[in-house]
Amino acid sequence: MFLKIMFILAATMTLGGAFLTAYTKNLMHACVYLLVSLFGVAGLYATLGADFLAATQLVVYAGGVVILMLFAIMLTGGIQNFVNKFGLDKVPSMGNGKTYTIAGLSMIITAFIIMKVLAPIFKTNVQGELPAFASTVEEIGVLLVTDHVLAFEISSILLLGALVGAAVISRPRRGK
Amino acid sequence: MNETVVSYLSQAPGYALLVEKLSEFFGFDAEGFVTFLIFALVCFVVVNVMSAIGGLGTYAERKISADLQMRQGPNRVGPFGILQFLADGVKMLGKEDILPAQADRFLFLIAPLMCMVGVFASLAVVPFSSGLTLTNLNIGVFYLIGVSSLVGVGIFLGGYAANSKWSMLGGMRGASQIISYEVPVTLSILAIVLMTGSLSFNVITDAQGGLPHQWYIFHNPFTFIAFFVLFIGALAETNRAPFDLPEAESELVSGYHTEFSGMRFAFFALAEYVEVFVVCGVVAALFLGGYKVPFDLGNGELIAKTFPAIHPMLAKQIGNVLQLKAFILKTLALYYVVIWIRWTLPRLRVDSLMVLCWKYLTPIALFNLVGCAVWLWAFEGKSMWAMIFKSGVAAAGGHH
Repeated sequence: MFLKIMFILAATMTLGGAFLTAYTKNLMHACVYLLVSLFGVAGLYATLGADFLAATQLVVYAGGVVILMLFAIMLTGGIQNFVNKFGLDKVPSMGNGKTYTIAGLSMIITAFIIMKVLAPIFKTNVQGELPAFASTVEEIGVLLVTDHVLAFEISSILLLGALVGAAVISRPRRGK
Repeated sequence: MNETVVSYLSQAPGYALLVEKLSEFFGFDAEGFVTFLIFALVCFVVVNVMSAIGGLGTYAERKISADLQMRQGPNRVGPFGILQFLADGVKMLGKEDILPAQADRFLFLIAPLMCMVGVFASLAVVPFSSGLTLTNLNIGVFYLIGVSSLVGVGIFLGGYAANSKWSMLGGMRGASQIISYEVPVTLSILAIVLMTGSLSFNVITDAQGGLPHQWYIFHNPFTFIAFFVLFIGALAETNRAPFDLPEAESELVSGYHTEFSGMRFAFFALAEYVEVFVVCGVVAALFLGGYKVPFDLGNGELIAKTFPAIHPMLAKQIGNVLQLKAFILKTLALYYVVIWIRWTLPRLRVDSLMVLCWKYLTPIALFNLVGCAVWLWAFEGKSMWAMIFKSGVAAAGGHH
């Protein structure tokens, strides 16, 4: 009962946040709604008993990504300029009615195809009980450095690449 | 499930009775209802007490600053002016709630709330005592870092939404400062997590003892340095002087909350003072033994043994009150130091703030982390004092 309520709350937050993110015209507001949506996802993880994952979601997204997005939006001034340099209405970066319709239709079609493909996989599954609540920290740590060590290393190389790229971009240019 | 304040209280004989009575009354198993009720009650009490502590923080700040500057400070409302914060609160309530015409209405309204929510959500894992921890999460430290990052978003949005240059600069500074200082803070917390092997506040606290030589701050040289790194970083994360650049009154009027009035401003102020308390509590729990009372008086076993007449639950409660006192005492001592530093040191420049973070604190914290790992590996996690004592014994011919 309690878990169900929490699940419904988290799911509502996720979906509502995601919808508003796509719907709002203001990029800054979109970021805040995105934050709501990400908190909802953290709640979903928490209802599934993945406490560490939920906290990671909070730390990474609320603490890092959303603030960086806000910074980026503000520094690039992505809020004004609804009109391009020829005086025509630009397609807003968050989309307009036309883009939503197209996206919605194509999403429905894709979803139908994927569901058709996946149907036999899920048909035999009985709904299982959630495992007993236990600390997931150790499991995740062990899995990260054993089974998934390649993915772990690749993501760290990706981050290193981003770091080096940032250093290259921000380096003062010679001869100018 | 995790250990919570409810699972602690459910050991009391009255709990089962209450559940039974309510089950009879409602006609269904009332345990979930009682759990919810107790949780709601304890949360209500904790939030209100913390708000009062936040309010008293402003009073303490004014009184201590007055003391440091040889003034009187507030002394009109109540004895020694202690009710000044209530008077301030009433004044705040009476102020007009101004919304600047150019402000981003939606963000302007939610920014103070985000700060408040971030701070009060972090209260869920603060270990006030072994019984009175709202919930003893396995990942308490990590959770606290996660939810308190919402404060940074709140400050940034507050600065942005007001659409004023002062606020904007304040908000930018606040966000960049909080993001930057999260690195050394997290690294020095990680050193302690490494020593304990757990992310839960209660496990970390229980791994320490009541007496200073059993605290993690004096465990080895690396944790000693990590304590200061964490404390400096915590000052910066809570925007306290000498790192109060986001609200530097001499250059930015009042920083990110320049345009806020009335209760909205009060929310920011309250969030800041409660956050200082929470951060001090975290530092106390990680490094200063938290709620540990000397000679293990806290778990009530000694009390129960000395006075066999009293109920074991009562002995436990007495132990818990002692633990609560120990925790609050340590936290308030740190709180005093925070205020003391504010009125002693001048404010840093923005660039030297970043230099301090990235060129000094972060490398030191990294070094500490490695140092702690090496210490753990080389000496099997024994503390400095244990080894000194052992070598002393050996020198005195105590070898077998």
